[in-house]
Amino acid sequence: MLNLLRMDLYRLMRSKAFYICLGFLLTTVFLCYGMLFLVGTPKGQETAPKIGMGALVETGGDTSILDGMDFIEMIRKSCMDGGAYHLVFGILTAIFVCTDFHSGFVKNIMTLHRKRWKYVSSKLLTMGIADLFYLAVCFGFGAVMNLLFHHMVPFGEWRDILFYLSWAWLINMAFAALIIMLCVFTKNMAAGVSMAVVLSCGLVVMPLAGIAGLFNADGWFPYTLYYNMSSGPSFYSMPADLKVYAVGFVFIIVYTIASVVFVTKQDV
Amino acid sequence: MKNEFVVETTALTKAYKGKMAVDHIDMKVRDGAIYGFIGRNGAGKSTTLKMICGLARPTEGDIRIFGRKADDPMCARWIGALIESAGLYPNMSARQNMIMKARCLGLADEKSIDRALAITGLADVGKKKIKHFSMGMKQRLGIALALLGNPDLLILDEPINGLDPEGIREIRQLILDLNEEGKTFIISSHILGELSRISTHYGIIKEGNLIEQVSRESLEKKCKDYFQIEVDDTKRALSIVMEHEPGIQAEVCDKHIIRFYHIKDGAGLNRILLENGLKLYASGFHHMDLEEYFLNRMDCMDTEKKEEGENA
Repeated sequence: MLNLLRMDLYRLMRSKAFYICLGFLLTTVFLCYGMLFLVGTPKGQETAPKIGMGALVETGGDTSILDGMDFIEMIRKSCMDGGAYHLVFGILTAIFVCTDFHSGFVKNIMTLHRKRWKYVSSKLLTMGIADLFYLAVCFGFGAVMNLLFHHMVPFGEWRDILFYLSWAWLINMAFAALIIMLCVFTKNMAAGVSMAVVLSCGLVVMPLAGIAGLFNADGWFPYTLYYNMSSGPSFYSMPADLKVYAVGFVFIIVYTIASVVFVTKQDV
Repeated sequence: MKNEFVVETTALTKAYKGKMAVDHIDMKVRDGAIYGFIGRNGAGKSTTLKMICGLARPTEGDIRIFGRKADDPMCARWIGALIESAGLYPNMSARQNMIMKARCLGLADEKSIDRALAITGLADVGKKKIKHFSMGMKQRLGIALALLGNPDLLILDEPINGLDPEGIREIRQLILDLNEEGKTFIISSHILGELSRISTHYGIIKEGNLIEQVSRESLEKKCKDYFQIEVDDTKRALSIVMEHEPGIQAEVCDKHIIRFYHIKDGAGLNRILLENGLKLYASGFHHMDLEEYFLNRMDCMDTEKKEEGENA
């Protein structure tokens, strides 16, 4: 499996999609910082009319907007909670996995590696490494932006940042496992990308939870990936906050097993 | 690792939604052979090759490669395959695709990549992206990928598709050279003339059934010499010949052509036909080649099937 992992990492590092997606995320973080600086800080409100964005301050200018917000909240609001990160990461996963089937290179892989779990595990680990890299770069870039925008929000505790990063990584891995499962099932890039878009925005879970709520049967909603992706804890305060790890772990296992079953049962 | 048979299948079957794509095939490929796998489109060639390579799961039956079960991870190391089209990442260069396969194999040495690119004539285009490759170049790269890791068994499905005559000649020579080194080949191709120049054994598949496995020597014996005439009236010509040469083996191919087997005096036959006032357009001795043998075999099977249907 390490051979496959080395092969996948080699391809990931050479794919344009990897850098385009990262660029999109960093742009999102930059725009979020820029906009909040302009509407939420006195210095920014002074600057906005000079760069032709006075209307922005007139309609949304409010210095209390940053009250109580720290670095983690800032990053969460900029790309994580709204689903932008998962959208981009999901699309990257779909493109990465489906390219194997689309190009036909999967035939070369499957001829050599007849134990299909190796293929799925390698894809999952590769996306896990990509996720770790993306999270680290996004947080690092956010920290630089924070410094550039005159310490707009306090950094908070390192412990909280690590707590958030660790569960976010696990939940993102579970999301990647879901996209991998759908991709090996459909073997179609358009289907994979479409599902990444739909699932990252909660377009499946939210309506279902709404309908279930009408019958008071929405108790499962806090255990969904979407809920945990958007509403997981920002810091550890009680043992119940660890639930997010359990959710991520269980979904990784379930989706990985399903992927292995699909890829084993289907012919290449 | 030496076995008499490199590939041995027993009752190998593949069914798709109840329809038999491959029906209880017992295929035997000898060590060091170049096994030409022949059949019409949809006969089950690619499905069989896919099952041997582990790309498709057999519905039934057993596959042994070098005497081991096909799902043995060691078997995968012994096989190099090019199935259908070459699977290549279009946005990567030829060399990068080779590196991908090398990493997949766990090869650290890049010399094998250079060697495979060189012997397939791609040494100069290693840095060119696949999306800018012609079909023939992709096919060569597919063969280069199959050669990586120095496998003992090469399975090539339509390897000369899209190649120019020079490319075909190079690949033919490459196959023969590698075969001399001791490598075994299973090659499926529609270009039977080309296949007949290199194959040492043949397998003919029809509608999922392996109807014949034959060595080149046996095939040579079966490919009979015949004397073919082209006349205006085959019915009359046949009756005249039968009258003069009772017991002659003849075959009416269409409304103008008749073939006579085991005949030595062609000129005598021509004279008889002309003396009886028949219009003789052409005549001559021919040797049946692989293509004719294959088509003959297919026609025989079709006729038998039709007759069985009528009798039923």
